[in-house]
Amino acid sequence: MEPSRLPGFLLRRGAKAAIVILAIVVCNFLLIHAAPGDPASVIAGQSGAADERFLAQLREQFGLDKPLHVQLWIYLKGVLTLDLGFSHRQQQPVWGLIAERLPATLLLTGAAFAFALAAGVTLGALAARRVGTWADSLITVVALTFYATPIFWVGLMLVLFFSVWLEWLPSFGMATVGVELTGVAAVLDVAKHLVLPAATLGLFYLAVYARLTRATMLEVADQDFVKTARAKGVPEGQVVRRHVLRNALLPVITFAGIQAGQLIGGSILVETVFAWPGIGRLAFDALLARDYAVLLGVFFCTSVMVVLFNLLTDLLYAVVDPRVEVEG
Amino acid sequence: MSLSRRGFMAAAASAPVLMRASEALAQGIAPRRGGTLQMMLTPEPPVLQIGVNQQGPTLVAAPKMFQGLLTFSPALEPEPVLAKSWTISPDGREYVFALQEGVKWHDGQPFTAEDVVFSIMKFHMELAPRARAIFQLIETCEARDPLTVRMVLKQPFQPFLLMFDATAAAMVPKHLFDGRDYRTAPAVQRPVGTGPFRFVEWQRGNFIRLDRNEEYWKPGQPYLDSIIYRIIPDSQSRRLALESGQVLLSQTNDIEPFDIPALRQRPNLEVHTAGWEYFSPLSWIELNHRVKPLDDARVRRAMSMAIDRNFIVNRLWFGVGKPATNPVASTTRFHDPSARLPAFNVAEANRILDAAGYPRNAQGVRFTLKHMALPYGEIWTRLSEYLRQAMRNIGINFEMESTDAGSWARRVGNWEYETTINFVYQFGDPTLGVERTYVSTNIQRVTFTNTGGYANPQVDALFLRARTAAAAAERQAAFSEVQKLLIEEVPQIWLMELSFPTIHDRRVRNVITTGLGVHKSFDDVFIAG
Amino acid sequence: MREFWRRFRRNRGALAGLVILVLIILLAAFAPLLYPGSPWEMATAPFVPPGEEGMLLGSDSLGRDVAAGIAHGARISLMVGAVSTIAALSIGVTLGAVAGYLGGVVDDAVMRFTEFFQTIPSFVFAVLLVAIFTPTIGSVVFAIAVVSWPPVARVVRAEFLSLRSREFVQAAEVLGKSRIAIVLTDILPNALSPIVVLSSLMVASAILLESALSFLGLGDPNLMTWGFLIGAGRSVIRLAWWMSVFPGLAIFLTVLALNLVGEGLSDALNPRLARQRGGAT
Repeated sequence: MEPSRLPGFLLRRGAKAAIVILAIVVCNFLLIHAAPGDPASVIAGQSGAADERFLAQLREQFGLDKPLHVQLWIYLKGVLTLDLGFSHRQQQPVWGLIAERLPATLLLTGAAFAFALAAGVTLGALAARRVGTWADSLITVVALTFYATPIFWVGLMLVLFFSVWLEWLPSFGMATVGVELTGVAAVLDVAKHLVLPAATLGLFYLAVYARLTRATMLEVADQDFVKTARAKGVPEGQVVRRHVLRNALLPVITFAGIQAGQLIGGSILVETVFAWPGIGRLAFDALLARDYAVLLGVFFCTSVMVVLFNLLTDLLYAVVDPRVEVEG
Repeated sequence: MSLSRRGFMAAAASAPVLMRASEALAQGIAPRRGGTLQMMLTPEPPVLQIGVNQQGPTLVAAPKMFQGLLTFSPALEPEPVLAKSWTISPDGREYVFALQEGVKWHDGQPFTAEDVVFSIMKFHMELAPRARAIFQLIETCEARDPLTVRMVLKQPFQPFLLMFDATAAAMVPKHLFDGRDYRTAPAVQRPVGTGPFRFVEWQRGNFIRLDRNEEYWKPGQPYLDSIIYRIIPDSQSRRLALESGQVLLSQTNDIEPFDIPALRQRPNLEVHTAGWEYFSPLSWIELNHRVKPLDDARVRRAMSMAIDRNFIVNRLWFGVGKPATNPVASTTRFHDPSARLPAFNVAEANRILDAAGYPRNAQGVRFTLKHMALPYGEIWTRLSEYLRQAMRNIGINFEMESTDAGSWARRVGNWEYETTINFVYQFGDPTLGVERTYVSTNIQRVTFTNTGGYANPQVDALFLRARTAAAAAERQAAFSEVQKLLIEEVPQIWLMELSFPTIHDRRVRNVITTGLGVHKSFDDVFIAG
Repeated sequence: MREFWRRFRRNRGALAGLVILVLIILLAAFAPLLYPGSPWEMATAPFVPPGEEGMLLGSDSLGRDVAAGIAHGARISLMVGAVSTIAALSIGVTLGAVAGYLGGVVDDAVMRFTEFFQTIPSFVFAVLLVAIFTPTIGSVVFAIAVVSWPPVARVVRAEFLSLRSREFVQAAEVLGKSRIAIVLTDILPNALSPIVVLSSLMVASAILLESALSFLGLGDPNLMTWGFLIGAGRSVIRLAWWMSVFPGLAIFLTVLALNLVGEGLSDALNPRLARQRGGAT
């Protein structure tokens, strides 16, 4: 794609993205409010005593006594100014809560993603190079295994093995409780806590990338331009790197782009098993407590991320393969 | 009308400070000053201002900063806190409280009778349903002088004093709340009380820190330098924190029941089940009487008889708690031990249902009832699963409905359920915590009322008599009769007298000394060397 | 047909998967005979380790037989997988066919709609849907179907787009056949092979999704599913590891088998691609 077309492309895609996000926010707002119960009844149900006046007071405090379309309008106005509302349960602005928990999720999914991509592509390429040998079979079986096991179960098994039986690694949380660590010690502490959850989340995607890389590399290796390069005497290493890998990476990049967006939402399970303080768990707890503002805020953020990643993927695609015409 | 001194019944004012210290000395340990007590708080409360919030965790942490006029012994006898002494008129309508001297708020302002009047007649009346229900009975509440409060009730109300514990009506500073919106006043975020600990810092999701109030009105106390509540969302993390000594005390819901046996084995930890006498939580199967055949007392009786409460206590709760025998818990006042539920007997239950005209069909099912589990933890799910099996034994099919906290509260409040589980506090006196579930005048569309819709004029009359009688003997008679009647009728199927264990390091002393357990100020708690 | 079976058989992995799948289906079918009664019944003391007191795989926190739970759970898991896949296919194939065949504005609209669904993280969306409609087997199947149809629509659309311009379709159009007849009798049978491959994978992911929902406590409380068993065992994992390990193995084997069979189907239906994929593995 020529550089001159970039601004127009971004503008058009940006506009489309904004509409999609808006639609998602409205849709989720309506859906969440369709769930039975509201934050007022949750709190009333936990206060040991209640009367109808108490319930009404709480409803008024949370702005729930207004008609639904008014509540929606108030919320949308807020979103447009990046004010995502206030969580009465946590007594904090939603944006603050999300900003607090987002880094933990990004750390987890970033580590898992990097691990999965690097290891997956490497293993997949290895399997493709040695297609038909025992190495290939082994890698394929291992990939299939991790693909087929439920993430939460992998997490539990890792906890059982490495935490309960071997006692090598901690099984929950992001840092050791009660100890005030600083500097390198703190980083190491978090790193120790990161190993199992990142491995759990990463192993599934590792399997995906390994299989995908292997499949596309085999497909590409068979094609004419590769055979031509070999015939011309280009060294094998260069053939693999320049031609095979580069073309094989296209579907991987596409998939990675989709996964990157999904990783944020999909981290609920891992965050639950490992008590990792991220936004996946925040959203789940908010759903249970009917903390509308927080839940909507998380949806909003994840939608933005997905859209951003899709955009990035398309751009990357265009860069990697000059033949690709990216539509606006 | 003037009331002469001779007409008053003098209330004995014991000296709790000396008593506790002497208790400690009797054990051969003098209270040691110093140390930080690390505990946990689950889940993290929205705010710590008692009154604005009445959920469990707030009731645990706030009494360290806020105090009431009184507290209560395990036998539910009143003990002085901010009220040094008090007198009750012979007709039971006039209460005069003499306040402690030299008490200051954490911001240095003096605590006076004006604060008491404000806290009761304005603050809690506006915010708290439980307080509101009782304080409505107050005709006059006035500050006779800065250290004396006089209250006159519209009619005698014997359980009145029970409302003056910190968890029911803590004293709040008038100068920081009067004239403002109580929920959004700045003091809510930085609580100011009279208690032994002052609010220092709250890092959300991490910890709450309270430091010693150097100006505390009891000399020499509190012994602890500071208190830290750690927020640990995951139950296994909490267990680990307690085992490894990172925290020295766990309470209420911090530790899951199935972890208790392992913790009992630890030589450095103590497990206490006492300290719940005031709240006396009672769990039951909540029935919606609008759904047939739950309106038939014979069905309810049979269901109750088919449940092995000992199994529930021993297998599900690992021995923590007691089987329920009565709608009034054994630790609540006016419990009549002679009124007991009939024993576990599946055969008899089947006979009752056969005789009542509910035959089994080809699959052995008499009828189906929907059942919502209580969504507050796994143990309640296990309980519902056990109950389903128990009901199958008498031919009743429980169809389970899954809910979360939001839908549960709404459905119970709106009477959109058939059966569910509930547990409710009794607050020391059946008029305060028991009556509300059974009188037809309290059928409201919100939890903690008579959502089941049970209506029995005899029950109503008995509760009314017990509520309005001034003499304890008369109240006992009414309560005994209503207990017997309710056991006949089984409007709710009572299951267990719950106890939430407090587990702490052996070095921590004086933790459970009152009927409120950990819901007290901790001014006499110390960490031995 | 014989040719198809011959090609399928050449993939040893697929064959193994088929065998496993058949065994699991048999287990599900004969569960009431192998483990009569209800898996919810308390058979023995709680937390009995595997192999003791007649409990092959141990007992859980209420003394229920874990093996019985797995056997009866197989029926639910397979049923949920099948039904939600059929539902997702119905939605996806219809939308994909409409978009691919009619093209133009309709195609655009359907694609935007599909994109919209794919932007919401699917698991979170499923959780939200189940919570709204309160967790029952019906709402779980519905939620899974709703989050699973977009890939089907895309694949079917791609197939229809390419097939639409083929001669036999144009011939049918010229002959005056109705659009619906063309779609159903001419195009769809030729687009079947990717749908068949996809459905095997979709059953697998439906089973994974259902187990994840049950694990989080959002499953139907009347049905003992594999996910429920793992969820119930999670908090007591130190006391009773067998409650979490065995149901997970069951899920793993089923999903693995489905994936292997899916690859076998793919090989059998696309022999050229199979060779490229490095042959039978």
